[in-house]
Amino acid sequence: MLKNIGLIIDKYHLEKKVREFLSYMRKVCELSIYVEENYLVNFNDVSFNEDLFFIKGKGDGIINFAKSLERDTDIPVINSSKGIWLAYNRFLNSTLLKSAGIRVPNFSLNPKEDTPPFKDFIIKNVRDQDNYAFDPTIQTTINSVEVKDNRALEEVYGKNAQYSFFYYQEYIESKFEYKIYGVGEELFYYKQKPILRDPDKMKSREKIKPILELGEIAYKVMELCDLQITSLDFLKSEDNSYYLTDVNSTPNFNYLENGPQIIADYLLAKAKR
Amino acid sequence: MKIGILTKRETGLTDKMRSFYKETGHKVTIYTTKNLAVNSSLFENDFYILKSKQLLFLYAGYFLYKNNIPVIPNPIISYTYKHRIESYYSIRNCGLNTPKIYMGTPKSIKKQVKESEYPLLVKPLMGSGSKGIKVIKSGDDLDSDNNKILYFEKFIEGTHYLAYFINEQICVGEKKPFANEHANIKLMKPEDDIRHALMIWREKYNLLFGHLDMIRENSTNKLIVVDTGTFPEFSNWQNANSIVSTICNLILKRYNDRREMNE
Repeated sequence: MLKNIGLIIDKYHLEKKVREFLSYMRKVCELSIYVEENYLVNFNDVSFNEDLFFIKGKGDGIINFAKSLERDTDIPVINSSKGIWLAYNRFLNSTLLKSAGIRVPNFSLNPKEDTPPFKDFIIKNVRDQDNYAFDPTIQTTINSVEVKDNRALEEVYGKNAQYSFFYYQEYIESKFEYKIYGVGEELFYYKQKPILRDPDKMKSREKIKPILELGEIAYKVMELCDLQITSLDFLKSEDNSYYLTDVNSTPNFNYLENGPQIIADYLLAKAKR
Repeated sequence: MKIGILTKRETGLTDKMRSFYKETGHKVTIYTTKNLAVNSSLFENDFYILKSKQLLFLYAGYFLYKNNIPVIPNPIISYTYKHRIESYYSIRNCGLNTPKIYMGTPKSIKKQVKESEYPLLVKPLMGSGSKGIKVIKSGDDLDSDNNKILYFEKFIEGTHYLAYFINEQICVGEKKPFANEHANIKLMKPEDDIRHALMIWREKYNLLFGHLDMIRENSTNKLIVVDTGTFPEFSNWQNANSIVSTICNLILKRYNDRREMNE
Protein backbone atom coordinates (compact mmCIF):
# COMPACT_ATOMS: atom_id res chain seq x y z
CA MET A 1 0.00 0.00 0.00
CA LEU A 2 1.38 3.40 -0.97
CA LYS A 3 2.07 6.00 1.68
CA ASN A 4 -0.20 8.99 1.82
CA ILE A 5 1.66 12.31 1.67
CA GLY A 6 0.11 15.75 2.03
CA LEU A 7 1.72 18.71 0.29
CA ILE A 8 0.88 22.14 1.73
CA ILE A 9 1.92 24.73 -0.80
CA ASP A 10 1.13 28.19 -2.17
CA LYS A 11 0.17 28.93 -5.76
CA TYR A 12 3.56 30.44 -6.56
CA HIS A 13 5.55 27.37 -5.56
CA LEU A 14 2.99 25.04 -7.12
CA GLU A 15 3.19 26.76 -10.48
CA LYS A 16 6.92 27.50 -10.56
CA LYS A 17 8.93 25.14 -8.40
CA VAL A 18 7.62 21.59 -8.06
CA ARG A 19 6.84 20.16 -11.48
CA GLU A 20 9.46 17.38 -11.38
CA PHE A 21 8.87 16.74 -7.71
CA LEU A 22 5.14 16.21 -8.28
CA SER A 23 5.71 13.96 -11.22
CA TYR A 24 8.05 11.74 -9.13
CA MET A 25 5.82 11.80 -6.05
CA ARG A 26 2.77 10.70 -8.04
CA LYS A 27 4.63 7.55 -9.00
CA VAL A 28 5.70 6.60 -5.48
CA CYS A 29 2.91 7.69 -3.12
CA GLU A 30 -0.67 8.88 -2.79
CA LEU A 31 -0.38 12.65 -2.92
CA SER A 32 -2.92 15.18 -1.63
CA ILE A 33 -2.28 18.83 -2.40
CA TYR A 34 -3.51 21.66 -0.17
CA VAL A 35 -3.09 25.06 -1.83
CA GLU A 36 -2.88 27.98 0.60
CA GLU A 37 -5.05 30.28 -1.50
CA ASN A 38 -7.85 27.70 -1.83
CA TYR A 39 -7.78 25.81 1.44
CA LEU A 40 -9.55 26.91 4.60
CA VAL A 41 -7.77 25.93 7.81
CA ASN A 42 -10.41 24.94 10.32
CA PHE A 43 -8.68 24.84 13.71
CA ASN A 44 -11.75 23.32 15.32
CA ASP A 45 -11.62 20.12 13.29
CA VAL A 46 -8.11 18.85 12.55
CA SER A 47 -8.26 15.26 11.37
CA PHE A 48 -6.27 13.86 8.48
CA ASN A 49 -5.20 10.44 7.20
CA GLU A 50 -1.85 11.47 5.74
CA ASP A 51 1.35 9.75 6.86
CA LEU A 52 3.37 12.95 6.51
CA PHE A 53 2.89 16.56 5.48
CA PHE A 54 5.50 18.40 3.43
CA ILE A 55 5.40 22.18 3.61
CA LYS A 56 6.50 24.17 0.57
CA GLY A 57 5.93 27.84 1.30
CA LYS A 58 6.09 30.27 4.20
CA GLY A 59 2.83 32.24 4.14
CA ASP A 60 0.74 32.71 7.28
CA GLY A 61 -1.92 30.26 6.10
CA ILE A 62 0.70 27.57 5.49
CA ILE A 63 2.56 28.05 8.75
CA ASN A 64 -0.57 28.04 10.86
CA PHE A 65 -1.96 25.01 9.03
CA ALA A 66 1.31 23.25 9.91
CA LYS A 67 0.93 24.43 13.51
CA SER A 68 -2.55 22.93 13.76
CA LEU A 69 -1.23 19.57 12.54
CA GLU A 70 1.64 19.66 15.02
CA ARG A 71 -0.62 20.52 17.94
CA ASP A 72 -3.59 18.28 17.15
CA THR A 73 -2.22 15.22 15.33
CA ASP A 74 0.81 12.92 15.47
CA ILE A 75 1.50 13.27 11.74
CA PRO A 76 5.10 14.33 10.99
CA VAL A 77 5.37 17.80 9.42
CA ILE A 78 8.46 18.80 7.39
CA ASN A 79 9.58 21.55 7.86
CA SER A 80 8.07 22.44 11.19
CA SER A 81 6.11 25.66 11.64
CA LYS A 82 8.79 26.83 14.08
CA GLY A 83 11.57 26.20 11.57
CA ILE A 84 9.81 28.10 8.79
CA TRP A 85 8.96 30.98 11.10
CA LEU A 86 12.52 31.25 12.40
CA ALA A 87 14.00 31.03 8.92
CA TYR A 88 12.06 33.99 7.54
CA ASN A 89 12.46 36.10 10.68
CA ARG A 90 16.01 37.28 10.05
CA PHE A 91 16.41 39.06 13.35
CA LEU A 92 15.12 36.15 15.41
CA ASN A 93 17.29 33.52 13.74
CA SER A 94 20.39 35.73 13.92
CA THR A 95 19.71 36.26 17.63
CA LEU A 96 19.13 32.58 18.30
CA LEU A 97 22.13 31.39 16.30
CA LYS A 98 24.55 33.96 17.68
CA SER A 99 23.51 33.16 21.24
CA ALA A 100 24.28 29.49 20.47
CA GLY A 101 27.77 30.31 19.24
CA ILE A 102 27.18 30.28 15.47
CA ARG A 103 29.14 33.00 13.70
CA VAL A 104 26.72 35.39 11.98
CA PRO A 105 27.53 38.91 10.75
CA ASN A 106 26.96 41.63 13.36
CA PHE A 107 23.38 42.85 13.18
CA SER A 108 21.19 45.53 14.66
CA LEU A 109 17.65 46.91 14.49
CA ASN A 110 17.65 50.70 14.41
CA PRO A 111 15.05 53.44 14.04
CA LYS A 112 14.87 54.57 10.40
CA GLU A 113 16.21 58.01 11.36
CA ASP A 114 19.41 56.59 12.97
CA THR A 115 22.87 56.72 11.41
CA PRO A 116 23.74 53.19 10.21
CA PRO A 117 25.42 51.23 12.99
CA PHE A 118 28.13 49.76 10.70
CA LYS A 119 30.53 51.30 8.19
CA ASP A 120 29.83 48.55 5.63
CA PHE A 121 26.31 47.18 5.78
CA ILE A 122 23.35 45.54 4.08
CA ILE A 123 19.83 46.62 4.94
CA LYS A 124 17.69 43.50 4.57
CA ASN A 125 13.95 43.06 4.90
CA VAL A 126 12.96 42.28 8.49
CA ARG A 127 10.83 39.29 7.54
CA ASP A 128 11.69 37.40 4.37
CA GLN A 129 8.22 35.90 4.02
CA ASP A 130 7.14 36.89 0.51
CA ASN A 131 8.15 35.19 -2.72
CA TYR A 132 10.06 38.19 -4.07
CA ALA A 133 13.78 38.05 -4.80
CA PHE A 134 16.53 40.17 -3.21
CA ASP A 135 16.56 43.52 -5.01
CA PRO A 136 19.66 45.44 -3.98
CA THR A 137 20.87 48.99 -4.56
CA ILE A 138 24.62 49.06 -4.06
CA GLN A 139 26.66 52.14 -3.19
CA THR A 140 30.41 51.67 -2.99
CA THR A 141 32.91 54.38 -2.04
CA ILE A 142 36.59 54.19 -1.05
CA ASN A 143 35.53 54.07 2.58
CA SER A 144 32.36 52.03 2.66
CA VAL A 145 29.95 49.58 1.07
CA GLU A 146 26.25 50.28 1.53
CA VAL A 147 23.70 47.80 0.21
CA LYS A 148 19.98 48.38 0.55
CA ASP A 149 17.39 45.80 -0.39
CA ASN A 150 14.57 47.74 -2.03
CA ARG A 151 12.05 45.40 -0.38
CA ALA A 152 13.32 46.64 2.99
CA LEU A 153 12.99 50.29 1.95
CA GLU A 154 9.45 49.59 0.75
CA GLU A 155 8.56 48.07 4.14
CA VAL A 156 9.59 51.29 5.86
CA TYR A 157 8.89 54.08 3.35
CA GLY A 158 6.35 52.42 1.01
CA LYS A 159 2.64 53.02 0.64
CA ASN A 160 1.83 50.21 3.08
CA ALA A 161 4.75 50.82 5.45
CA GLN A 162 4.93 48.18 8.18
CA TYR A 163 7.97 49.19 10.19
CA SER A 164 9.72 52.29 11.49
CA PHE A 165 13.07 50.52 11.80
CA PHE A 166 15.69 48.81 9.65
CA TYR A 167 17.46 45.49 10.02
CA TYR A 168 21.18 46.05 9.41
CA GLN A 169 23.65 43.27 8.79
CA GLU A 170 27.37 44.05 8.67
CA TYR A 171 28.71 43.54 5.16
CA ILE A 172 31.27 40.75 4.76
CA GLU A 173 33.54 40.96 1.75
CA SER A 174 33.92 37.47 0.29
CA LYS A 175 35.23 36.05 -2.97
CA PHE A 176 32.59 33.32 -2.98
CA GLU A 177 29.26 32.55 -1.43
CA TYR A 178 29.00 29.01 -0.05
CA LYS A 179 25.66 27.30 -0.25
CA ILE A 180 24.94 24.18 1.75
CA TYR A 181 21.75 22.20 1.17
CA GLY A 182 20.68 20.00 4.05
CA VAL A 183 18.23 17.13 3.63
CA GLY A 184 18.16 15.28 6.93
CA GLU A 185 21.68 13.94 7.49
CA GLU A 186 22.75 14.52 3.90
CA LEU A 187 24.59 17.73 3.02
CA PHE A 188 25.38 19.08 -0.45
CA TYR A 189 28.09 21.71 -0.92
CA TYR A 190 28.27 24.42 -3.59
CA LYS A 191 29.97 27.73 -4.11
CA GLN A 192 29.24 30.64 -6.44
CA LYS A 193 30.09 34.30 -6.89
CA PRO A 194 28.26 36.41 -4.30
CA ILE A 195 24.94 37.61 -5.65
CA LEU A 196 26.06 41.24 -5.22
CA ARG A 197 28.89 40.62 -7.67
CA ASP A 198 26.92 38.52 -10.13
CA PRO A 199 23.11 38.43 -9.89
CA ASP A 200 22.99 35.32 -12.08
CA LYS A 201 23.94 33.04 -9.22
CA MET A 202 23.68 29.81 -11.21
CA LYS A 203 26.23 30.93 -13.82
CA SER A 204 29.14 30.60 -11.45
CA ARG A 205 27.73 27.88 -9.18
CA GLU A 206 29.89 24.78 -8.81
CA LYS A 207 29.74 21.70 -6.67
CA ILE A 208 32.55 21.55 -4.12
CA LYS A 209 34.04 18.95 -1.79
CA PRO A 210 32.57 18.88 1.73
CA ILE A 211 34.00 21.46 4.10
CA LEU A 212 34.00 19.91 7.55
CA GLU A 213 33.56 23.20 9.40
CA LEU A 214 30.53 24.20 7.33
CA GLY A 215 29.02 20.74 7.73
CA GLU A 216 29.24 20.97 11.53
CA ILE A 217 27.67 24.40 11.49
CA ALA A 218 24.89 23.24 9.14
CA TYR A 219 23.91 20.34 11.44
CA LYS A 220 23.87 22.67 14.44
CA VAL A 221 21.74 25.27 12.63
CA MET A 222 19.28 22.62 11.47
CA GLU A 223 18.92 21.38 15.04
CA LEU A 224 18.60 24.84 16.58
CA CYS A 225 16.07 26.03 14.00
CA ASP A 226 14.21 22.72 13.85
CA LEU A 227 14.73 22.41 10.08
CA GLN A 228 15.02 19.04 8.33
CA ILE A 229 15.30 20.48 4.83
CA THR A 230 17.19 23.73 4.33
CA SER A 231 19.70 25.73 2.38
CA LEU A 232 22.23 27.90 4.19
CA ASP A 233 24.34 30.73 2.77
CA PHE A 234 27.82 31.48 4.06
CA LEU A 235 30.43 34.12 3.26
CA LYS A 236 34.14 33.77 3.99
CA SER A 237 35.86 36.86 5.39
CA GLU A 238 39.41 37.99 4.71
CA ASP A 239 40.60 36.18 7.84
CA ASN A 240 39.04 32.93 6.52
CA SER A 241 36.13 32.84 8.96
CA TYR A 242 32.78 31.59 7.69
CA TYR A 243 29.72 33.72 8.44
CA LEU A 244 26.20 32.38 8.10
CA THR A 245 24.20 35.06 6.28
CA ASP A 246 20.89 33.38 5.39
CA VAL A 247 18.71 30.48 6.47
CA ASN A 248 16.11 29.17 4.03
CA SER A 249 13.29 26.80 4.92
CA THR A 250 11.96 26.34 1.36
CA PRO A 251 15.08 25.82 -0.77
CA ASN A 252 14.76 25.42 -4.50
CA PHE A 253 15.72 21.75 -4.69
CA ASN A 254 15.64 21.83 -8.50
CA TYR A 255 19.17 23.25 -8.29
CA LEU A 256 20.39 20.02 -6.69
CA GLU A 257 21.34 17.12 -8.90
CA ASN A 258 18.34 14.72 -8.56
CA GLY A 259 17.00 17.20 -6.00
CA PRO A 260 13.28 16.42 -6.40
CA GLN A 261 13.94 12.69 -5.98
CA ILE A 262 16.26 13.18 -3.01
CA ILE A 263 13.59 15.23 -1.24
CA ALA A 264 10.79 12.83 -2.13
CA ASP A 265 12.72 9.77 -0.92
CA TYR A 266 13.60 11.54 2.32
CA LEU A 267 9.95 12.41 2.95
CA LEU A 268 8.82 8.85 2.29
CA ALA A 269 11.44 7.54 4.71
CA LYS A 270 10.16 9.91 7.40
CA ALA A 271 6.46 9.13 6.88
CA LYS A 272 4.49 7.49 9.70
CA ARG A 273 3.89 4.07 8.15
CA MET B 1 19.31 48.82 39.79
CA LYS B 2 19.35 49.94 36.16
CA ILE B 3 15.95 49.25 34.65
CA GLY B 4 14.89 49.58 31.01
CA ILE B 5 11.24 49.91 30.02
CA LEU B 6 10.24 48.87 26.47
CA THR B 7 7.10 50.83 25.74
CA LYS B 8 4.97 52.47 23.04
CA ARG B 9 4.49 55.65 25.05
CA GLU B 10 6.09 57.35 28.01
CA THR B 11 2.82 58.47 29.59
CA GLY B 12 0.24 56.63 31.73
CA LEU B 13 1.33 53.61 33.71
CA THR B 14 4.86 53.74 32.26
CA ASP B 15 5.35 57.24 33.62
CA LYS B 16 4.03 56.22 37.03
CA MET B 17 6.32 53.20 37.12
CA ARG B 18 9.30 55.37 36.17
CA SER B 19 8.50 57.76 39.01
CA PHE B 20 8.11 54.92 41.50
CA TYR B 21 11.41 53.29 40.59
CA LYS B 22 13.27 56.61 40.57
CA GLU B 23 11.87 57.54 43.97
CA THR B 24 13.04 54.21 45.34
CA GLY B 25 16.62 54.71 44.12
CA HIS B 26 16.69 52.98 40.74
CA LYS B 27 17.83 54.33 37.40
CA VAL B 28 15.22 54.04 34.68
CA THR B 29 15.60 54.35 30.90
CA ILE B 30 12.54 54.40 28.68
CA TYR B 31 12.85 52.89 25.19
CA THR B 32 10.23 53.79 22.59
CA THR B 33 10.27 53.27 18.81
CA LYS B 34 12.11 56.60 18.55
CA ASN B 35 15.22 55.63 20.50
CA LEU B 36 15.27 51.83 20.65
CA ALA B 37 18.19 50.23 18.82
CA VAL B 38 18.21 46.50 19.37
CA ASN B 39 21.83 45.48 19.79
CA SER B 40 24.44 45.03 22.50
CA SER B 41 23.94 48.63 23.65
CA LEU B 42 20.96 47.28 25.60
CA PHE B 43 23.19 45.15 27.82
CA GLU B 44 23.83 48.15 30.10
CA ASN B 45 20.65 47.62 32.10
CA ASP B 46 20.14 44.97 34.80
CA PHE B 47 16.71 44.01 33.54
CA TYR B 48 13.86 45.12 31.30
CA ILE B 49 10.14 45.58 31.60
CA LEU B 50 8.27 44.65 28.42
CA LYS B 51 5.32 47.03 28.60
CA SER B 52 4.31 46.90 24.93
CA LYS B 53 3.70 43.96 22.58
CA GLN B 54 4.54 45.88 19.39
CA LEU B 55 6.82 43.85 17.13
CA LEU B 56 9.95 45.95 17.73
CA PHE B 57 9.63 45.53 21.50
CA LEU B 58 8.99 41.82 21.17
CA TYR B 59 12.17 41.55 19.09
CA ALA B 60 14.05 43.50 21.75
CA GLY B 61 12.61 41.24 24.45
CA TYR B 62 13.66 38.10 22.58
CA PHE B 63 17.14 39.52 21.94
CA LEU B 64 17.62 40.30 25.64
CA TYR B 65 16.15 37.00 26.78
CA LYS B 66 18.53 35.06 24.50
CA ASN B 67 21.41 37.08 25.90
CA ASN B 68 20.45 36.26 29.49
CA ILE B 69 19.18 39.72 30.41
CA PRO B 70 15.94 39.25 32.39
CA VAL B 71 12.78 40.57 30.76
CA ILE B 72 9.48 40.83 32.66
CA PRO B 73 6.89 39.75 31.54
CA ASN B 74 8.48 36.87 29.64
CA PRO B 75 8.81 37.95 25.96
CA ILE B 76 7.95 34.49 24.63
CA ILE B 77 4.63 34.59 26.49
CA SER B 78 4.00 38.17 25.34
CA TYR B 79 4.55 37.10 21.72
CA THR B 80 2.25 34.12 22.21
CA TYR B 81 -0.59 36.32 23.42
CA LYS B 82 -0.08 38.78 20.58
CA HIS B 83 -0.39 36.05 17.93
CA ARG B 84 -4.06 35.03 17.57
CA ILE B 85 -3.38 31.38 16.74
CA GLU B 86 -0.82 30.94 19.52
CA SER B 87 -3.19 32.69 21.88
CA TYR B 88 -5.99 30.29 20.86
CA TYR B 89 -3.83 27.31 21.79
CA SER B 90 -2.75 28.95 25.06
CA ILE B 91 -6.37 29.45 26.10
CA ARG B 92 -7.33 25.93 25.06
CA ASN B 93 -4.36 24.46 26.94
CA CYS B 94 -5.84 25.87 30.16
CA GLY B 95 -9.11 24.08 29.53
CA LEU B 96 -10.87 27.40 28.86
CA ASN B 97 -13.35 27.96 26.04
CA THR B 98 -12.35 29.78 22.86
CA PRO B 99 -14.37 30.84 19.81
CA LYS B 100 -14.12 28.76 16.63
CA ILE B 101 -11.32 30.06 14.43
CA TYR B 102 -10.34 29.72 10.76
CA MET B 103 -7.60 30.92 8.41
CA GLY B 104 -7.92 31.34 4.68
CA THR B 105 -8.80 33.68 1.86
CA PRO B 106 -12.26 35.34 1.76
CA LYS B 107 -13.03 33.06 -1.19
CA SER B 108 -12.27 29.89 0.77
CA ILE B 109 -14.32 31.10 3.76
CA LYS B 110 -17.24 31.90 1.49
CA LYS B 111 -17.06 28.49 -0.14
CA GLN B 112 -16.46 26.33 2.89
CA VAL B 113 -18.18 27.94 5.89
CA LYS B 114 -21.93 27.45 6.32
CA GLU B 115 -24.13 30.54 6.50
CA SER B 116 -25.17 29.44 10.01
CA GLU B 117 -21.59 30.08 11.20
CA TYR B 118 -21.93 33.81 10.50
CA PRO B 119 -21.42 36.46 11.75
CA LEU B 120 -17.64 36.15 11.72
CA LEU B 121 -14.97 38.59 12.80
CA VAL B 122 -11.86 39.34 10.77
CA LYS B 123 -8.97 40.23 13.06
CA PRO B 124 -5.30 41.01 12.40
CA LEU B 125 -3.25 37.86 12.99
CA MET B 126 -0.81 39.80 15.14
CA GLY B 127 -2.88 41.95 17.40
CA SER B 128 -4.89 42.25 20.52
CA GLY B 129 -7.77 44.36 21.65
CA SER B 130 -10.32 45.74 19.24
CA LYS B 131 -7.97 47.40 16.73
CA GLY B 132 -8.52 46.36 13.10
CA ILE B 133 -11.57 44.14 13.77
CA LYS B 134 -14.30 43.90 11.14
CA VAL B 135 -17.67 42.15 11.43
CA ILE B 136 -18.68 39.90 8.52
CA LYS B 137 -22.43 39.36 8.66
CA SER B 138 -22.63 36.98 5.70
CA GLY B 139 -20.63 35.64 2.79
CA ASP B 140 -21.80 38.61 0.73
CA ASP B 141 -19.61 40.92 2.85
CA LEU B 142 -16.50 39.12 1.61
CA ASP B 143 -14.49 40.15 -1.41
CA SER B 144 -13.86 36.95 -3.37
CA ASP B 145 -11.09 38.57 -5.42
CA ASN B 146 -9.01 39.23 -2.34
CA ASN B 147 -6.31 36.53 -2.18
CA LYS B 148 -5.00 37.61 1.20
CA ILE B 149 -4.89 34.99 3.95
CA LEU B 150 -6.98 36.27 6.85
CA TYR B 151 -7.80 35.21 10.38
CA PHE B 152 -11.52 34.65 11.07
CA GLU B 153 -13.21 34.11 14.39
CA LYS B 154 -16.83 33.19 15.12
CA PHE B 155 -18.70 36.15 16.58
CA ILE B 156 -20.07 35.34 20.03
CA GLU B 157 -23.38 36.95 20.96
CA GLY B 158 -23.31 37.72 24.67
CA THR B 159 -22.16 39.89 27.57
CA HIS B 160 -18.59 41.17 27.31
CA TYR B 161 -16.23 41.38 30.30
CA LEU B 162 -12.84 42.91 30.92
CA ALA B 163 -11.14 40.98 33.72
CA TYR B 164 -7.83 42.11 35.24
CA PHE B 165 -5.66 40.38 37.78
CA ILE B 166 -2.66 41.55 39.77
CA ASN B 167 -1.24 38.68 41.74
CA GLU B 168 -4.33 37.31 43.53
CA GLN B 169 -6.39 40.49 43.32
CA ILE B 170 -8.89 40.75 40.53
CA CYS B 171 -11.09 43.45 39.03
CA VAL B 172 -13.89 42.67 36.59
CA GLY B 173 -16.32 44.84 34.68
CA GLU B 174 -18.91 44.59 31.96
CA LYS B 175 -17.91 46.43 28.80
CA LYS B 176 -19.31 47.31 25.43
CA PRO B 177 -18.45 44.90 22.57
CA PHE B 178 -15.19 45.85 20.79
CA ALA B 179 -14.49 48.67 23.26
CA ASN B 180 -10.80 49.03 24.12
CA GLU B 181 -9.35 48.73 27.60
CA HIS B 182 -9.70 52.43 28.30
CA ALA B 183 -13.45 52.69 27.66
CA ASN B 184 -15.57 52.83 30.79
CA ILE B 185 -16.70 49.51 32.23
CA LYS B 186 -19.39 48.70 34.73
CA LEU B 187 -17.52 47.19 37.67
CA MET B 188 -19.09 44.07 39.13
CA LYS B 189 -18.55 41.33 41.66
CA PRO B 190 -16.95 38.55 39.61
CA GLU B 191 -18.83 35.32 39.18
CA ASP B 192 -17.06 32.15 40.25
CA ASP B 193 -16.23 30.94 36.74
CA ILE B 194 -14.66 34.29 35.82
CA ARG B 195 -12.53 34.24 38.97
CA HIS B 196 -11.63 30.60 38.28
CA ALA B 197 -10.62 31.36 34.66
CA LEU B 198 -8.34 34.20 35.78
CA MET B 199 -6.62 32.12 38.42
CA ILE B 200 -6.11 29.13 36.11
CA TRP B 201 -4.65 31.48 33.51
CA ARG B 202 -2.34 33.19 36.00
CA GLU B 203 -1.03 29.93 37.43
CA LYS B 204 -0.59 28.09 34.13
CA TYR B 205 1.69 30.79 32.71
CA ASN B 206 3.16 32.00 36.02
CA LEU B 207 1.98 35.56 35.41
CA LEU B 208 2.32 38.45 37.83
CA PHE B 209 -0.56 40.36 36.26
CA GLY B 210 -2.55 40.62 33.05
CA HIS B 211 -6.04 40.56 31.68
CA LEU B 212 -8.55 38.42 29.82
CA ASP B 213 -11.43 39.60 27.65
CA MET B 214 -14.32 37.21 28.01
CA ILE B 215 -17.86 36.82 26.70
CA ARG B 216 -20.75 35.06 28.43
CA GLU B 217 -22.49 33.47 25.44
CA ASN B 218 -26.24 34.16 25.43
CA SER B 219 -27.28 30.84 23.91
CA THR B 220 -25.19 28.53 26.15
CA ASN B 221 -24.24 30.70 29.16
CA LYS B 222 -20.65 29.48 28.57
CA LEU B 223 -17.74 31.76 29.37
CA ILE B 224 -15.52 32.19 26.29
CA VAL B 225 -12.08 33.84 26.33
CA VAL B 226 -11.58 36.05 23.27
CA ASP B 227 -8.47 38.07 24.05
CA THR B 228 -5.49 38.01 26.38
CA GLY B 229 -2.89 40.52 27.54
CA THR B 230 0.30 40.51 29.57
CA PHE B 231 0.57 44.17 30.51
CA PRO B 232 -2.60 46.27 30.35
CA GLU B 233 -2.75 49.90 31.47
CA PHE B 234 -5.20 48.89 34.23
CA SER B 235 -7.09 52.11 33.45
CA ASN B 236 -10.32 50.61 34.78
CA TRP B 237 -8.90 49.19 38.01
CA GLN B 238 -10.61 50.77 41.03
CA ASN B 239 -8.20 53.35 42.39
CA ALA B 240 -5.63 52.83 39.64
CA ASN B 241 -2.92 54.87 41.42
CA SER B 242 -2.78 52.40 44.29
CA ILE B 243 -1.62 49.54 42.08
CA VAL B 244 1.58 51.15 40.77
CA SER B 245 3.68 50.20 43.79
CA THR B 246 2.17 46.69 43.81
CA ILE B 247 3.06 46.12 40.14
CA CYS B 248 6.54 47.61 40.49
CA ASN B 249 7.31 45.55 43.60
CA LEU B 250 6.04 42.36 41.99
CA ILE B 251 8.38 42.97 39.05
CA LEU B 252 11.34 43.63 41.37
CA LYS B 253 10.56 40.50 43.36
CA ARG B 254 10.37 38.40 40.17
CA TYR B 255 13.74 39.80 39.08
CA ASN B 256 15.35 39.12 42.47
CA ASP B 257 13.89 35.60 42.68
CA ARG B 258 15.30 34.76 39.25
CA ARG B 259 18.68 36.23 40.12
CA GLU B 260 18.87 34.18 43.30
CA MET B 261 17.85 31.06 41.42
CA ASN B 262 20.65 31.62 38.88
CA GLU B 263 23.23 32.17 41.62
